Amino acid sequence: MAGFLARRLGAAAIAALLSSLAVFLIMRAVPGDIVGQMLGQSGGDRAAEEALRAFFGLDRPLWSQFADWLGAVLRGDLGRSWYQGRPVGVMVWEAFLVTLELAVATLVLATLIGVPLGVVAGITQGSRLDRAIQSFNLVGLSAPVFWLGLMLLVGASAALDWSPPFAWSGPQEDLADNISILVLPVISLAVLQAAAYSQFVRGLMIEELGKDYIRAGRAKGLTPAELYFKHALSNVMIPLVTFMGLILVQILGGVVVIESLFSLPGLGRLILAGIQGRDYPVVQGALFFVVIIATTINLVVDLLYGLLDPRLKP
Amino acid sequence: MTEFTLPRRTALQLALGSLALPGIAEAQQAQIDPLLYGPTPENARRGGRITVGSLVEPPALDPFRQAADARIRVSPLMYQGLFFEDQSGVPRPLLAESATAAPDGKSWTFRLRRGVKFHTGQPMTSADVKYSYDFMRNAANGSPGAGDLSSVTSIDAPDDFTVVFNLSRPNAALPMTLTNKYGAVVPRGFLDDANSGTRMNEISVGTGPFKLKQFRPNSTLVFERNPDYWQPGLPYLDEITFVTMPNSAAMAVGLQSRRIDLAMFSRPQDTQALANAQGVEVRRWPSLNQKTVDLDCKYNNLGDVRVRQAIALAIDKKTVMDASISGYGTVIGTIVAGMQDAWGVPLDQLANQRVDLDRAKALLAAAGHPNGFDIDLTTIIGYDWMDAAAVTIAEQLRRINIRVNIRKLELGVWIRNFRAREMGFTFNDWGTTPDPSLLYYRHFRAAPEGADFRNWNHARASALLDRGQETADPAARRAIYAEFQKILAEEVPTIMMFSSDVLTANRTRLKNYVQHGTGWYFGLVKAWVEG
Repeated sequence: MAGFLARRLGAAAIAALLSSLAVFLIMRAVPGDIVGQMLGQSGGDRAAEEALRAFFGLDRPLWSQFADWLGAVLRGDLGRSWYQGRPVGVMVWEAFLVTLELAVATLVLATLIGVPLGVVAGITQGSRLDRAIQSFNLVGLSAPVFWLGLMLLVGASAALDWSPPFAWSGPQEDLADNISILVLPVISLAVLQAAAYSQFVRGLMIEELGKDYIRAGRAKGLTPAELYFKHALSNVMIPLVTFMGLILVQILGGVVVIESLFSLPGLGRLILAGIQGRDYPVVQGALFFVVIIATTINLVVDLLYGLLDPRLKP
Repeated sequence: MTEFTLPRRTALQLALGSLALPGIAEAQQAQIDPLLYGPTPENARRGGRITVGSLVEPPALDPFRQAADARIRVSPLMYQGLFFEDQSGVPRPLLAESATAAPDGKSWTFRLRRGVKFHTGQPMTSADVKYSYDFMRNAANGSPGAGDLSSVTSIDAPDDFTVVFNLSRPNAALPMTLTNKYGAVVPRGFLDDANSGTRMNEISVGTGPFKLKQFRPNSTLVFERNPDYWQPGLPYLDEITFVTMPNSAAMAVGLQSRRIDLAMFSRPQDTQALANAQGVEVRRWPSLNQKTVDLDCKYNNLGDVRVRQAIALAIDKKTVMDASISGYGTVIGTIVAGMQDAWGVPLDQLANQRVDLDRAKALLAAAGHPNGFDIDLTTIIGYDWMDAAAVTIAEQLRRINIRVNIRKLELGVWIRNFRAREMGFTFNDWGTTPDPSLLYYRHFRAAPEGADFRNWNHARASALLDRGQETADPAARRAIYAEFQKILAEEVPTIMMFSSDVLTANRTRLKNYVQHGTGWYFGLVKAWVEG
């Protein structure tokens, strides 16, 4: 177990280092830098450009810029935003909490809708109910999130004369506002993920129900409830947990669109604004954090396998 | 209720004489100008809060080192320069009380207003004014506004309420340069701290009617009334919250559901959704912005003036405007719509304004391209109007056998190309402070005095721009800029197509909001809300 953990953590460290280097180089390869953004299309002259470039350390060799950044990260310092002046670590953490709340709420809602739908569709394969659920899946999987979000926003306004407050409040500031801000984005994201879940679980159930032990159980006189929920569903759990991890990573990746669509100050928008403004410390810090989170989720999923099925214990 | 108004400023002639220009004695302006920031309302109520929806958010709030338009829009609430850029084209004294140019035009003396306090509580004196503008004009401090002050050689503060700007050559546009786009008057010493730029995201240190209360990036920006503000009784509002809105559909929804009180729309046609909305009024204002096609004279075949003229003769500006902003604007010739009356040349007196395909083809043939050529036309991601305009122009140029390939660039990349004078054949969307020197000089004056982004390098035009900047007499100045505009139209380093109206929508409880043509929020200083 210890050896497994050490190997995985080592691999994670290498992944973080390589991806940070890639982010560092790609950001600098993109034409334009913060100096152009600050001076605008027509302001300032060469002297102003040079002064600002020196202020941000952009006149130094690339290797020395990267070494400085990496050295600071190893000391636990992600630097400061060039625009905001605030510590990147704090900005990333605040944005992450917004994204996490959005992602967890989406995951819970998608699981609550998607898993039962998938189980029912699997059990009643070929029925009218199954076809109805499959239609939902098709629509859910093919409706673009930004379209769905916009329709929900305009629809809620037209039908209920209601719209979310557009200014963000965290759950600790004003819970009612917080929930009303999140309800539409969570539904928009959850529909897609619930459809994906339901489709996946349906396939698993059908496969599981065709297996010999189910036939044997049926012959033994087990009730359908016991067959489906005690035996079939517990075998479906392992791939489902893998899938949940994938979905969580996918939600974290997909929130960029929904955060922009609903003005949520999450990680996706932080990174997007950082890229547009060429705020290198923010982009590097935030993506470094994302890599760590994604690796951690994968690690936790691997460890969970062991808990759910002792045969897979590392 | 929807109401369309096109406010006409009657102040133009009055204003042209109201500033102490050379030869006119200083004296007036001891009192506070009632038209400062817009008309003064009767029976305005003090108090109340409003929420403003905005599609853009400032990356940071430093007025000295951030050129982003989103920053400039809100800065006038907190920070002030010596003058206010009245839409009529006249600088109205703001922190200055009067302006006098020396007879040779090589220095300007400004008397300062007394009783002005910074948000920090300190009183403002000439030492602060000198400090602030010295900081701004020093290129090593990285201010985008430094270039506009290149003619300033030194600033003196002979007493607490007088400053003198000494110039290397006369600059009639100096008062209009000391307005509110870049820089401001801040307490002396504040900018010495290397982190002063980012500190201004937490506190405001200006003299403006509102103070910064809170800035939460990617979310909200809150201003509160400055209780020590120097204009008696102003501002009316206690608090203004700016909320960053994701798109114009959300702004329309926010207005209807009473979440926001005011919003400005970047695409005028997006206000159509509000045509029948209860309690919301949509208003249209002339703007100081322009949508152009710029021609880099070193790119492709654009170095040949006949090619540039052929392109101008093939473009039907009205059709492009209808396609891209549903006609909510004004076709222009060589100046933004908001300055046409004061400074513009009538379009029928300008060359290359009307479509003439036969002449265009003849010019192309004479230039050695009887079968046309291929060219990339650049649009910028996020500027929606350019997409429709690009398709329309590609179609129009196809009629003279110029085959256009549309290429989309991210804004940061586009800015880099523009500044490096490698813009190619591109759309542009830019605004100005209402003075012809500030509009034209940096863009079209040959280097090194100007930036000449389009590599035009035109000697006669440059000489006119120098003379226009140096000439104080309004009539003589107008004649110089008229001549310049005729060259601009003839030579086509740019095709100024149209000014898109500024469209605002507000809840009817918000009163006396007047939108400035720059798109900046000066109007909030005199706006008020019903109880």
